[in-house]
Amino acid sequence: MLAGLLTLLGCQLAGEFLQRALNLPLPGPVLGMLLLFGGLCLRGSVPKDLEAGSQRLIELLPLLLMAPAAGVFFLGAGFADQWPGFIAAVSLGTVCTLVFCGLLIRFLQRRNSRP
Amino acid sequence: MIDLFHGPLFAITLTLLAYQGAMFLYLRSGRAAILHPTISGASLIAIALILLGQDYHAYYRNIDWLTFLLGPATVALAVPLYRQLHLLRNMAGPLLITVSVGAVFASVSALLLAWLFGANQSTLLSLTTKSITTPIAITVTQDIGGITTIAVASVILTGVVGITTITWLFNKLDIQDDRLWGFCLGLAAHAIGTSRAFERSPVAGAFSSLALCLTGTFTAVFVPIAARWFF
Repeated sequence: MLAGLLTLLGCQLAGEFLQRALNLPLPGPVLGMLLLFGGLCLRGSVPKDLEAGSQRLIELLPLLLMAPAAGVFFLGAGFADQWPGFIAAVSLGTVCTLVFCGLLIRFLQRRNSRP
Repeated sequence: MIDLFHGPLFAITLTLLAYQGAMFLYLRSGRAAILHPTISGASLIAIALILLGQDYHAYYRNIDWLTFLLGPATVALAVPLYRQLHLLRNMAGPLLITVSVGAVFASVSALLLAWLFGANQSTLLSLTTKSITTPIAITVTQDIGGITTIAVASVILTGVVGITTITWLFNKLDIQDDRLWGFCLGLAAHAIGTSRAFERSPVAGAFSSLALCLTGTFTAVFVPIAARWFF
């Protein structure tokens, strides 16, 4: 599992390096993910250690996210006027996105399956 | 005595305790979306801090090294993406078009609605990533100058709204194909949607995790570039 973690950190470091060296607008970890993905495609399989390490880390995500998420209760008075926009985006925006994507993919799928 | 509250030991103990409590509540409730561990865990932390009279920012400074692990966790998403890639084979066209157009739609609709309801620039920046999986959302938000807390909250609540409305919406639209159903849910509601899709069927779950990875990657590429143009 530690070898897997090392691979992940190595990819992230390479990603951060690329971002700085080429001044790319992408975050380093995202570049690292693309690098690892490219590497897996070239290799044609997932090493056991990497599988275990990434699985563990992905399972622990809620633990990593709880502390920043708790900040929502402590935003203070400065954020009070932002709640309507936040709630509208999260509720209406999500429903619109689901309907839009549903209609779009069904249309594309029907066109695709026609000979 | 009181100085014990101001160290990393207290912060990490509280966080792990909240995590255990949150997992217990979540599994006990039969995985109810509203009790998703991130939501219930965050609420438990907030309640504990308020009851103990502790400052949130002081607590967060003692625990922010934990969020460092979000970096390698983002990189780790390459593994499930690689595993789901074979699903693309027969439907690559429709799926890739839906991901790119749908991901832009998710960001733009959130921005437009929030702007109409009077949100300011930093709130808008924090909402652009609401439909993508949290580790990528946090990385991107920090990169473009949004507020991490708002980004996390918007991602989680988007997931909850997605899984509570999709059954009704897609019944109305008459979309029952598990592949399309799962894919749209993964696109709009990331990991929370994906866990719901797995409850429907393994096929829906696989398409949902493919959509989650593709949407996250695509949004991570286009949002920072777009943000440079507009802000």
